[in-house]
Amino acid sequence: MLNSLQAVGPVKGGPVKYVFICCVSGIPTDEEQATGLEKIIMETMKEGKDPYNMLKPKSYSGTKEDPNIVPSITNRRIVAVSVSEEDNTAIVWFWIHEGEAQRCPSCGSYYKLVHYDLPH
Amino acid sequence: MAHQAHPYHMVDPSPWPLTGAVAALLMTSGLAIWFHFHSTILMLLGTVLLVLTICQWWRDVVREGTFQGHHTPPAQKGLRYGMILFITSEVLFFAGFFWAFYHSSLAPTPELGGFWPPAGITPLDPFEVPLLNTAVLLASGVTVTWAHHSIMEGDRKQAIHSLTLTILLGGYFTFLQALEYYEAPFTIADGVYGATFFVATGFHGLHVIIGSTFLAVCLHRQIRHHFTSTHHFGFEAAAWYWHFVDVVWLFLYISIYWWGS
Repeated sequence: MLNSLQAVGPVKGGPVKYVFICCVSGIPTDEEQATGLEKIIMETMKEGKDPYNMLKPKSYSGTKEDPNIVPSITNRRIVAVSVSEEDNTAIVWFWIHEGEAQRCPSCGSYYKLVHYDLPH
Repeated sequence: MAHQAHPYHMVDPSPWPLTGAVAALLMTSGLAIWFHFHSTILMLLGTVLLVLTICQWWRDVVREGTFQGHHTPPAQKGLRYGMILFITSEVLFFAGFFWAFYHSSLAPTPELGGFWPPAGITPLDPFEVPLLNTAVLLASGVTVTWAHHSIMEGDRKQAIHSLTLTILLGGYFTFLQALEYYEAPFTIADGVYGATFFVATGFHGLHVIIGSTFLAVCLHRQIRHHFTSTHHFGFEAAAWYWHFVDVVWLFLYISIYWWGS
């Protein structure tokens, strides 16, 4: 059975070289073979980032000095708070815009928009 | 690349759901035409369209996942849910046929002689070919698990060997069951015994063929390096389906072949 071979080259008219790109016994890893969005997500998660919102939003104390950070790829984002005050039975929805931290209309916690760019 | 800020897969427009629906329509109406007017053309056309739809739809899924990277962890999770729900629906499908079998066999009517197996039926000996078939499917469950561990451990040669062995065992089951069908002393027309026996085991056999085909596609993909040691959901789905087929056989064997004899 062939192990995985990868063409390398050609180098200026020379022969095409082949190197083994897999681990020794022949099945590739995601490191070697992931592509597209799967690869981007894999690599950014390794750096501890979550540009595609796969994880639960981080919780902050929500004070003016430590506002909830709301990442956004534009200049505004909707925030939905499920337990704005202790006995809330409905979700509180509101827009957050870039600039100073804004407050939840129900409980007054601070939310601050922070812009980020999607990795390409 | 993408302008989406979410990890889900918004699939591009595709004609295959429509062609699949048309195929289903042609096959079913074609069946009725065959029954009443002795013409098979509509049914055959529907079957051809179904096969074309199947090949091209799943080819596109492989392209989207393996070659384009759209199957992110959340997308894969959705695929897992989907396969589990589908297998659950198949369990319920077989539950109906087991219900029918037990309905008739637990309280055999006077027309049958008041006992089960009914008068005039010589059931197959459960300790002959059916027992061998049980061993074959159980062994195939072991080999498919061997294949999975080989993939996870990065061992290409063993993965290919064990997956091939699984498919061969599935083929052997189908071959043995076909021989049994040919040699059986009773037919599907032999009262409720024949009906419950051949409908339940017949649909099971169809699922063995489907499962073997799914595994064969996985073998082809494994040879072509599609699977990685951590991302190989197509194979896992095939393995789940294969275990389901094995479990259904165990229920069939215990209920119909053994208790029912």
